[in-house]
Amino acid sequence: MRRQTVTGVVVSAALFVIAATVPVLGSRYYTFVATDIVIFAMLATSLNLLVGLSGLVSFGHAAYFGVGAYVCGILMKAGGVPFLAAWLLGGVGGALLAGVFGYFCVRLTRVYFSMLTLAFAQIVWAVCFKWNDVTGGEQGYPDVPMPDLAFLDWLPWIGSLRSGDKFYFVVLMLATVSMLAMRRIANSSFGRILTCIRDNLERTQFIGIDVRRHQLVVFTIAGGFAGLAGGLFGIFNRGVFPDFCYWPKSAEVLIMTILGGMYSFWGPSIGAAVLIILNQYIVSRTEYWPLVLGAIMLALLFAFPRGIAGAVGAAWRSRDRFNA
Amino acid sequence: MIIDRRKVLAGAGALAIHPRVARAQTHVIKVGVPMPLSGPAALYGQPALKGAEMFAAEVNASGGVLGRRIDILARDSKASADEAVRVARELILKENVHFLVGTMTSAEGPAVSTIAKEEKVILIAPIPKTDQLTAPRNLHPYVFRTGANTTIEGRSSAEIMAKWTNVRKVATIVHDYAYGQDVAKAFVEHLKRLRPDIEVVDQQWPKLGEADYTPFINAQLARKPDAVFSGMWGGYFVTWVKQARPLGYFETLENRIINPAEVGSIEVTRTMGADYPFGIWSNTYDIAHYDGQSEAHKKYIERVSAFTKQDPPSTWPITTYVAMQFLTEAIKKANSTDSDKVSKALLGLTIEAPFGRQTLREKDHQADRGQFYGRMVKDARGGPNAVMSEVRYVDPKPFMD
Repeated sequence: MRRQTVTGVVVSAALFVIAATVPVLGSRYYTFVATDIVIFAMLATSLNLLVGLSGLVSFGHAAYFGVGAYVCGILMKAGGVPFLAAWLLGGVGGALLAGVFGYFCVRLTRVYFSMLTLAFAQIVWAVCFKWNDVTGGEQGYPDVPMPDLAFLDWLPWIGSLRSGDKFYFVVLMLATVSMLAMRRIANSSFGRILTCIRDNLERTQFIGIDVRRHQLVVFTIAGGFAGLAGGLFGIFNRGVFPDFCYWPKSAEVLIMTILGGMYSFWGPSIGAAVLIILNQYIVSRTEYWPLVLGAIMLALLFAFPRGIAGAVGAAWRSRDRFNA
Repeated sequence: MIIDRRKVLAGAGALAIHPRVARAQTHVIKVGVPMPLSGPAALYGQPALKGAEMFAAEVNASGGVLGRRIDILARDSKASADEAVRVARELILKENVHFLVGTMTSAEGPAVSTIAKEEKVILIAPIPKTDQLTAPRNLHPYVFRTGANTTIEGRSSAEIMAKWTNVRKVATIVHDYAYGQDVAKAFVEHLKRLRPDIEVVDQQWPKLGEADYTPFINAQLARKPDAVFSGMWGGYFVTWVKQARPLGYFETLENRIINPAEVGSIEVTRTMGADYPFGIWSNTYDIAHYDGQSEAHKKYIERVSAFTKQDPPSTWPITTYVAMQFLTEAIKKANSTDSDKVSKALLGLTIEAPFGRQTLREKDHQADRGQFYGRMVKDARGGPNAVMSEVRYVDPKPFMD
């Protein structure tokens, strides 16, 4: 195995073990924060398939997150569909919508692409905000049922946990599978072509690659994973609201991705953890949180222009060079 | 007595793990207040929070409740439902608050209600108006509302318009979303019941955030209504007035317009100054001075004025002040901070709010909260700003069902 792959597997496994031990701490609060982080890590990573991997800066990623949440939530509450099926269909919903919108978006480049993603996302938000009969309009779709987790009860330790901790394990498992799938995509030859397009679009076209088709496929995949993250968040949040699709949510995820480091697979996850923990900590201490959070963000982005993961990676490599 | 080291350790461990045990040990009653404290909604959220803070300060100065201090833990809900849920959970899981008093928007209220139900922590909603919050299918033992709802607001307006004897043809203009639809429906249904001779000739539904109301206003004027019910609020009201005035809307209707949604509050009259459409009818949660004001209310206004260093004070502190009054009375009655006991004590509870008697109804956990209504006029008291005249508190008790 190549050394890079070994490092990747070790880092992934270590992160999983750390995440899995959170309920051991015994605090429902930690489990709640951890669930929040895992779901947003998944969302930020899906966005990074576009931003970091393919150079497609989407300003409207929250739309697919929101649609996934609505599809999953409505199917579970109104349709009585079992959790796993509803969750997967939420992902399908996100992917389908991303496929349709992406068809138009990939026809544009750079800032025009970004603006169109934002415009489509605002349409989705407006529909969710106004379609009272289906989405509950601005009042949202509250009381999404908790999935039936009785099937976990035969497991030795997990079975004895509180329902919040059990749900956390379900989220962690599903997120792990999704993350591994995204990692596989990023490291495949398809992923390499996307990076090639990011670095030099014209040259990639010259070697006979259908750039738009590749971009559309990754846009659809990213929308699908965002939808899957949305489905989990709707249940976790115990309700789905139009805010999920609104532009500040898209901006939040973009900040996570950039803060954590968009040229690293785990960067967005680190960004999600840092932003959520900082937000929780600061909001509970001062009502002037926007000022404090803004100042910290500014400092972090100046100190780590390639994100936190980028800075850690650079430090790691320079140590290697030093040892050699 | 032999003290077993292991037993002590086990006991300490149990205390650390079980928040409920730890909670019972503390001497402070913690009340979490999720409220929008940043962004545009902070204009109302910040003063609303002041009411709870002032109430806690007053109670603590006089020895607390059941001899215990009240601590207010405020959190910015950012006027977003998922953030409100996030801070509500943080308050419950980390801070171990005993009660929640707060939320503002019609999305925040029901969202936090779900958490209150799950965590068995009482939520008293002082501001969200959506009927959904306490509708039978959403009602549970831990949610209460001390504010008005859309039914009360729409019907109160109908009660006032029903007295305008020369009015035969009525029109409505509200935003096309939950609040607008609900309040207009409540108004129209109640008005038809009170005045079967009145005909609703036109209903306009601009979308929320509409930049140009002109076509809606023109279409409405073309139907020649005698009076209009309008559900505009905040900045939307300002925009709507600016666009309606040059079209002669207010002259044509001779100001036979009733627009609740608190555009009669001092916050709005201050913002609009001389641009206010003088002569229309509106409502407000609170008002500093009016004829027939009780001594208790006058004293309350003085205290809010001193606490917030504003004269006349904001009209929003009363919302959480009354919610806190209900909560502490229920704690006293239950002689406990246990959620289930306090929840039972809240049912049918009557308190003396600064502006009069208030009761939380047993059947739907909804207070009989009316508002002050009156005609907005220009007179010496307000300087350039509109002031409310012919002020009356519209008691909703007779028409809540």
